[in-house]
Amino acid sequence: MDVSAQARLENLLWAIGTAAFIVIGSVLVGQAAKMIARWRGLSTSDQRKVFWGFLFAAPWIIGFVIFVLGPALASLYYSFTDYKLGKEMNWTGLENYRELLLGAGAQGRRFSQAMFNSFYYMAVGVPLQIITSLGMAMLLNNQLRGIRLFRLIFYLPVILAGGPAALLAWRYMLAGNGGFINVTLQNLADSFFLFDWLYRGFIFTVEAFNSFYAGIAGGDPIGPFKYAVPALIGALVLLSIARGEWTPAKRARAWLVAELIGATIIVLLAARALVADPLDPGLLLGSGALAAAGAFIAHMRGETRRFHLWTLIPLALAAVGIVILMTFGSDAERSLYVLALLAAAAPLVLVYITRTPMKKRRLLGAGAALLTGIIIVRLIPGQLDGGRLAVLPQYLTLQSAIAQPDNLDYLNEGFAATTPAALWLYGLVALVLGGLSLADNRYPRTARTIALVSLAAFGLIAVSAAIDGVRYFQAYNQIAAATGEQNYHFAQFNAATAQWPDKNRVPLWMTNELWSKPSLILITMWSSGAGMLIFLAALKGVPRAFYEAAEVDGANRWQKFWKITLPMISPAMFYNVVIGVIAALQTFDTIYILRTPQTEDDLASAAFFLFNRTFRQLEIGQGAAVSWILAGIIVLLTVLQFRYNKWVYYEA
Amino acid sequence: MKKHFVLVAALALLLTAVLPAVAQDQTLEIYITGLTEDTIKWFNEVAFPAFEADHPGVQLEILTGGWGEFDATVAGWITTGDGPEIVYLGSEYAATFGDLLADLDPYLKDWEELDQFLPAALEAVTWDGHLRGLPLLMSPRPVFYRTDLAADPSVIPPLTFADALEFVKANSAVENNAMTRMGFMDIGSGLFDDQEFIAYIWSAGGELYNEDGTSAFDSEATAEALKFMYDRRRIMMPDETTAGLPPFEGVPIASGNVVSGIFPMWNMPATTDPLWENIVAAPYPAGENGEPLIQVFIDWLSVPAYVEDPALAVEFLKFITSKENAIELSKVAGFTPVRTDAWEELKASNPVWAKLLDLAVEYGRPFSDIRASAELRPLIREQVALYMSDQQSLEETQQMLKEEYDAILEDNGYLD
Repeated sequence: MDVSAQARLENLLWAIGTAAFIVIGSVLVGQAAKMIARWRGLSTSDQRKVFWGFLFAAPWIIGFVIFVLGPALASLYYSFTDYKLGKEMNWTGLENYRELLLGAGAQGRRFSQAMFNSFYYMAVGVPLQIITSLGMAMLLNNQLRGIRLFRLIFYLPVILAGGPAALLAWRYMLAGNGGFINVTLQNLADSFFLFDWLYRGFIFTVEAFNSFYAGIAGGDPIGPFKYAVPALIGALVLLSIARGEWTPAKRARAWLVAELIGATIIVLLAARALVADPLDPGLLLGSGALAAAGAFIAHMRGETRRFHLWTLIPLALAAVGIVILMTFGSDAERSLYVLALLAAAAPLVLVYITRTPMKKRRLLGAGAALLTGIIIVRLIPGQLDGGRLAVLPQYLTLQSAIAQPDNLDYLNEGFAATTPAALWLYGLVALVLGGLSLADNRYPRTARTIALVSLAAFGLIAVSAAIDGVRYFQAYNQIAAATGEQNYHFAQFNAATAQWPDKNRVPLWMTNELWSKPSLILITMWSSGAGMLIFLAALKGVPRAFYEAAEVDGANRWQKFWKITLPMISPAMFYNVVIGVIAALQTFDTIYILRTPQTEDDLASAAFFLFNRTFRQLEIGQGAAVSWILAGIIVLLTVLQFRYNKWVYYEA
Repeated sequence: MKKHFVLVAALALLLTAVLPAVAQDQTLEIYITGLTEDTIKWFNEVAFPAFEADHPGVQLEILTGGWGEFDATVAGWITTGDGPEIVYLGSEYAATFGDLLADLDPYLKDWEELDQFLPAALEAVTWDGHLRGLPLLMSPRPVFYRTDLAADPSVIPPLTFADALEFVKANSAVENNAMTRMGFMDIGSGLFDDQEFIAYIWSAGGELYNEDGTSAFDSEATAEALKFMYDRRRIMMPDETTAGLPPFEGVPIASGNVVSGIFPMWNMPATTDPLWENIVAAPYPAGENGEPLIQVFIDWLSVPAYVEDPALAVEFLKFITSKENAIELSKVAGFTPVRTDAWEELKASNPVWAKLLDLAVEYGRPFSDIRASAELRPLIREQVALYMSDQQSLEETQQMLKEEYDAILEDNGYLD
C-alpha cells in the first residue's frame, strides 16, 4: 500500500474510532444517569427524560472530563512530583509547595519576588485602573458632539494594548533618553517652575516607594515595622467604634474586621502547617482553634450561616490534617496527632447533631478549650519563651525593643528570634474585636471602656513599633557607615532618598528596576477601556430623578457623586475590581514583551514565573504547583471580595 | 425518536469518516528559528524542491519562529511527543534536551563527510557520547571596533581587561546625566550579558566547572570577570540614574554613538557595506592569567526522540549541511559554514568573512557544555544585576552563584 493510501486509511479509522467513542460514551453517560434516577426513585417516564437529557449533554461532558478535568487532575498529581521533561518522575509529596511557599532556595526566592510583583500590580495597578476607567466613563457620559468618536478612541487601546506593535511603540515612547514621554515631561518642567517641582517630586516618590518595596520584597527584615501594621489596623477600627453610642452597626463592624483577620490567620497557619518541614500539626490545630472561636462568636451572635461556615472550616482542616499526616507523617506523629485532631473535631461534629443551643455552646466551648490547650502546649512555648513577650510592655511604655543596634547578626536574625511573630498581634486584634462584637446593648459602658483601653494600647504599640522601625532601619545604615560596606537591604532606598532629584534626572521607565513596574501599570492604565465601558453602562442606568431630587435638596456635585453616583454604580465597581484583581495576578503578555534582561525579575509576575519554570526550565512538577497556588490565591481573594461586598448596593 | 437518533448518529459517523480522508504524502516538518524572508524563500523554492526530487512522495514543510517563544514551543512538542521531525537548536541545548533527542550515531558515524565539520561544532551537538544532530552554522561573536570614532585608533584592539577599561573610558561620554556615547555596548544593550560573563570567566583563565563537576563561580577568574564588568559599567554609567543612549534606527555600530561592542552578524551592517572599512573585529580582552578568545555559537539541527523513523530526517540533515548548501546559505542567509571545505570559496569572495573565519580559528571557543543552562541564565542575571547595581558585594555574589548553581547541578543530576 502506498503512503497516501495508508494515510487515508489511518484518517478513516481515526474518524470512525472517534465517532464510535463519542456515541458509546454518550450512551454510557445516559445509562449511568438513568440508573441514578432509578436509584433515587424517579418514575419510568422521568428516567427516560434523564437518559435522553444526559445523552445529548454527554459529548460536552465527555469533552469536559477529557480536556479540562483530566488535565487539571493530572497537573494536581504532577504538583506532588519532581517531574521534569526527559527525567524520571518521582513522588516528592509537598516538596514543591514547601519550596515555593516557604521561599526556600533560588526558586522559592524568585517565586516570592514574583508574588510580591503580582501583589504590586494588584494593590497599585487595580485602584489606578479603576480611577482611570471611572474618570474616562464620567467624561464620556456627557452629551457632547461627536461623543461616539471619543468613545471609540478611548476604547481603541483595549484592542491595541496587547499587540506587540503597540507595546513596542510604548518602549520607544518610554525610552529614558529621547523618549517622547520624557522629552515632553522635561520640556514642561523647563517651561513651568511649578511643574518642575511636581515632576521631581513624582520621581522622588516613585523611586522612594519602589525601592522600599523592593527592599521588603527581597526578603529583607523589616524588624519592628511588622508590629506597627496590625496595631495600626486595630487602633483605626477601635477609633471608629469607640466614639459615641454603642450600636449594633459598630458591633457588626468589629466582627467583620475580626472575622477577616481571623480567616487570614487561619489560612496562613494552615498553609504553613502543611508545608512546614516536618509537618506541623500544632499550626494546623492553631488555625482550628481560631475557627472554633469564630464559630463560638457566630453562634453567640445568632448568625446561623456564618456559624456553619466557621464550624466547617475546622472540620475541613482536621480532615486535611488527618489525610496529610496519614500520607506523610511518621508513625509517632500519626498516632499522637491523629488522635488530637479527632478529639478536636469531635465536639464540632457533635454540634451538628445536638439541637439544644445551650448544649451547642458547651460543646463549642469544650472544643475551643481542647484546641487551645493543645496550642498552649505545642505553639506558645516555641513562640513566647525567653522573654519574647517583653516587647509588648516595652512598646506600651514607648521604649525600644532593639537590644543590640550595633550588631549586624542580631539585626539580621537575633531580633526576629527574640521577639514574637507578628501573627500573634494580629490574633490579639481579632480577639479584642471579636469580644467587642459580642457585647450587646446591656453592657455599653463596659464595651466602650474595653474599646478605649484597647485603642490606647494598640495606638501606643503602633507608635512605638513605627519609631523602633526607624531606629532599626538607621541601625543598618550606621553599621554600613562604620564598616564602609553598603546597607544591602535598603541600598536602593538610601540612594533614592539621599537627595532631591537633580534637574537633569528623568524616569528610566523601561531600564531601571524602580521604574519597570510603574511602566507596566501605566500601559495597563492606557488600556482601561473595558472597565470604562462597564462604568459607562452603569452610569447610564442611574435615574436622573435621583440627581434632580438631590439638586432640590441643595447637594453640590461632589455630594451627588459620593451619595448617588458611587452607590448606584457600585455593582459595576465590584465587577471591575474582581476582574481587575484576577487579571493583575495573571499578568503575562505585557511582561513577556516589555521585559529586558535587567528588569525581567522585577517585572515577573506569578504567571510569568510559572511560564519560566514550566516551558523554559521544563520543571513541569513545580510549574504545576505554582499554578495550583496561584489558583488558590485567586479563589481565596475572589471569595473574600464576594464575602465582604456589603459596600455594593444592588437596587431593589 | 429512536429512529431519528440512529439516523443522525449514522450520518455523523459517515461524515466524520469521509471528510478528513484527504490524500497525504509523507511530510517532513522542519523548525528553524529566526529566519529572514529571503532565507525562507530559498528553502521553499530551491532546497526543498531539490530534496523532494530525490525523494518521491516526500513533502517538506518549514516552520519558523523567534528565539522569544523558542523554549515554550519546543517544550510543547517534547511534552506532547508531537512536533516537527527536525528542530533547530542553539549551542547550549544539547545538555538541556539530552536524551529527549534521538541518538543519530547509527545513521551518521560512518558518513565520510563528517570529517569536514569542525570538531568543536560536532562536540556541541554531542550528548552523552552520541551525536544528536548536525551543525548548520556557526556564529563567531567577536568585539567590533569603530576605528573612525575611536579617540585613539592605535590602541585597537585592547587585549587586556585593564586596556579595555582605558579604551571605554576614553570613548564614553555622559552629558546631563544621560549617555551620549558608549565606549562599549554588549549584545543585550544592558551593560552586561550572561553569555558574555561566561566568556570573560574563560578569558580570565577560569572555567565554569571544577574537576569534580561542581561550580567554579568562587574562583579568582570569576571575581576578575565580575570586577571588569562592574568597572566598565561605572565608567559609562556613573550611577544607576544615568539614562542610556537615545533610541536609534538600524544597527548599533552604525549609529555613530557606539564605538565598540559585541554583536551577532545579524545585528551588524551587511558585509558589502562600506562601513566595514572602519570596523575592526577582535577577540575579547583577557584577564591577568588568561588568553583573549572569541565566543563561537553553533546552531544545529536535531531530531527529537519522538520521531519514530529518523532515517528520512537524517537524509535531510546530510542534504542541507552539504558543502554546496553551506555555501548557498552563507550567501542567502549570512550563515557561517561549519564545514571547512566550504570556507575556501567564501573567504575568496568576502574579506569580512575571511577575517571572521580566521579569528574563529585562532581564538574561537564554542559556547557549549553549559549545564542546566535554562536555570543558570536567570541565576546569573539575578545575582550579577544585584552586584552591578551596588546591592550586593562581590564576595556575596560569588557565594550565591556558587551555592545556587551547585544546587541546580545536583537537582539536574550532574553531581553524584
